[in-house]
Amino acid sequence: MMSRLIAALAVTLIVALLPSAAMAHKLREQGVAVSIADSPLTVTPGRDWNRLDGNVGKHTETWTLDGGQLNDLTFFAGIEPGKPLVRERSKKREPLPKFGAGTLLVELPELFEATYRTAKQIADFRVTDVQPTRFLGQDGVMFTYEYVDQDQLTRKGEAHAAIVAGRLYMIGFDAPRLHYFERNIGDFHRIVQSARMS
Amino acid sequence: MIARMRLAVGVLALAAGVSAQAEPPLPPPYAGAYQPQGVDEQGLWREMDEEERRFAQSDMIIRDPTLQAYVTKVLCDTVGQDRCDATRIYIVRVPMFNASMSPNGLIQVYSGLLLRVHSEAELGAVLGHEFGHFEARHSLERLKAQRSGGDVLAWAGVLASLAPSYDMLRTYRNLQLTIIGSIYRFNRDQEREADGLGISYLNTSALRPQAAAQVWERLMAEFTADARAKGLKKPRFDRIPFYSTHPPEAERATTLALLARPEAATRDDGAARYRAALAPWLPQLLDDQIKLNDFGASEYIIQSLAESGWTAPLWHARGELYRLRGAPRDLVHAAQFYDEAIALDPAHPEAHRGLGLALLKTGQAAAGQKALLRYLELKPDAADAKLIGMMIPKEVPAP
Amino acid sequence: MRQGFALPPQSGKTILVLRPSVRVAEQSTGGMAEPRAEWTDQARRHIDAALVELQRQLGNRVIAAPEAYGEDARLVAEHQALFAAVSRAVIEYQFFVGNRLPTKKRDNKAGQFDWSLGPDVAKLPGADQADYALFLYTDDQYGSTGRKMLQIVGLVAGVGVSSGVHAGYAGLVDLKTGDLLWLNADFQMGGDVREADGAMKRVRQLLEDFPGSTIAREAAAPAATAQARP
Repeated sequence: MMSRLIAALAVTLIVALLPSAAMAHKLREQGVAVSIADSPLTVTPGRDWNRLDGNVGKHTETWTLDGGQLNDLTFFAGIEPGKPLVRERSKKREPLPKFGAGTLLVELPELFEATYRTAKQIADFRVTDVQPTRFLGQDGVMFTYEYVDQDQLTRKGEAHAAIVAGRLYMIGFDAPRLHYFERNIGDFHRIVQSARMS
Repeated sequence: MIARMRLAVGVLALAAGVSAQAEPPLPPPYAGAYQPQGVDEQGLWREMDEEERRFAQSDMIIRDPTLQAYVTKVLCDTVGQDRCDATRIYIVRVPMFNASMSPNGLIQVYSGLLLRVHSEAELGAVLGHEFGHFEARHSLERLKAQRSGGDVLAWAGVLASLAPSYDMLRTYRNLQLTIIGSIYRFNRDQEREADGLGISYLNTSALRPQAAAQVWERLMAEFTADARAKGLKKPRFDRIPFYSTHPPEAERATTLALLARPEAATRDDGAARYRAALAPWLPQLLDDQIKLNDFGASEYIIQSLAESGWTAPLWHARGELYRLRGAPRDLVHAAQFYDEAIALDPAHPEAHRGLGLALLKTGQAAAGQKALLRYLELKPDAADAKLIGMMIPKEVPAP
Repeated sequence: MRQGFALPPQSGKTILVLRPSVRVAEQSTGGMAEPRAEWTDQARRHIDAALVELQRQLGNRVIAAPEAYGEDARLVAEHQALFAAVSRAVIEYQFFVGNRLPTKKRDNKAGQFDWSLGPDVAKLPGADQADYALFLYTDDQYGSTGRKMLQIVGLVAGVGVSSGVHAGYAGLVDLKTGDLLWLNADFQMGGDVREADGAMKRVRQLLEDFPGSTIAREAAAPAATAQARP
């Protein structure tokens, strides 16, 4: 997701300013419950993951196994009404769609799609399935999608979401359709199943 | 509509740039498809043919033979069969106003262009302009100018331009930057020449040449509406930093208006035929546009399409636009727009869905649920059918 | 390089070289020009010559990937895009000091190099005739907006367009498993892409230290040269 853009910029910075400040990605250990973005959302990874440094948004965290380009697990932990899913590059010129107090579960795939299309500047995005699901102990929505990103790679994705106390909680997983999505979708599901509100 | 000042600028520019202004010259007799001359051009042709084979596999191409044949027909009607036989048209799903042409005759038409032109004459105007560049060999001129004295591109240089197949469709957003970024590969004279050729094709066709100016005027109005909605200053299309390499759209519109044959103004635009041909794709193109989250531009586009009459898809699109923005006032409007769509087409499933959601969000639960139920009756296999179903209590009576 | 991998010269192995594609297209309507790179036939001939030379220097049989059409072409393109993504990930997250993923740091310590394109590589055209595939790729680290601005500056100034951070990658992939066996990346800081670098020199730089090769190591490029070697 956005982390790829940030990561690309980070590398640019690193190369340009060698040697540069350390960007410390953190380990997220197997079996250790951890809270996300200082929110009530906690998950317990089924294997070691890496939490990427970098700031996609105030209530977001991005984890990866091999690098954001190859697997991108992004948590949206408590997006407030009136706010976009990720940080806007320019509020005026490139506004992102906003989560609202009245946003319905069934509208979350549209919100997600419009966010991706606008933020990533892509044309090719399809929501492939939308199903009700239980998430964080209540009724939520699961949806799957496929899109072609700026690096010309087709990626598949899956997200689980619920609205808790008026805020949006969502966990999404993106990976290249070739080899990588299938490889780690199970790890993603384990994270989703472990998700709790504390 | 065009300001006096711009008209004056246009006349001045005309006097400076193009020679005889009572009427542009007829297009030159067509010499047949250009054959590459010399090693460089032959190599370039070969490479472009190879590239076209790759491009033809792209996922972003809209593969609808009917639509493709229609767009090809409009090109042929504009430039004549001889010329049009030298080309191959591909329609690409990118929601931006653009068309491009490779020196070997490959034409790409972006879906955003199809959304923004309203008639065969307008589409012909844009395609004719592109063809003008092609016929005048501008790309080859530029290629030759770029390469200095037969030097060979470094492998690094070749590598720098490499990318997997879909790269050519990469970027398109940010209208402001697009205007600034119009550092055309063609210089001002070449752009004028292409405009002139485009007009002369239209003049000798059966289509109304005055349509050419309308395209640019409408595009400028869209940019303006978008900037206004975002609280930005009017877009800088009159003050492009790189003015020296391309006439700004305002001047271009003036030039085109002045060049068209007056007696051709009564010709057919082909507007009704165009609407009919685009109708199967219009909902998708509108959806692609709305999901860019440019409210001002989308609203402008919908309303300008509605000038020839509101239709259910247009009302539905407007409903979606307002519902996605989602302020309380917007939701009330959205419900009204969906209602209009349903009045014109009671069996439009998505309009019922949109109405249902808008009503639910403005506290009208019973009415909203009824509308959602109707949606499910009309489209039981909808992707979100199960989720929508859970929003309707069992005891809601069928409408 | 992957643990335990060695490719001695004259080992009788065949390497499939996937030639990168070149794009030449122009866009000019509605204020949306996107300058595309020029290409000449001579450059293509230089590439071919470089590959022949490669064969000699690498000491193994090198074959060019056959022309691909239809679904095959799409498969090739997707693999090339994936190779680019994997290469970037290797450089950014396993080898760049200060940007390493903790799990990859551990891999480094254990001498692990565990990257793959996946087993579908076996379906690439020509894969049935070779043991390994050589992917060649270049990367433009600037976002498209940034690159556009640079190109604008370049065109106005009449000089070649700098693509900012510019890297070339060469990678060797096992055609049976998709495992990435060897990767080299060459970063050039702000290099003018129209500078007169011979095709051969560039190829040589990319293929330095290719396993079993007799290619002599070139003097390092100025500023930053990074090589992905665990």
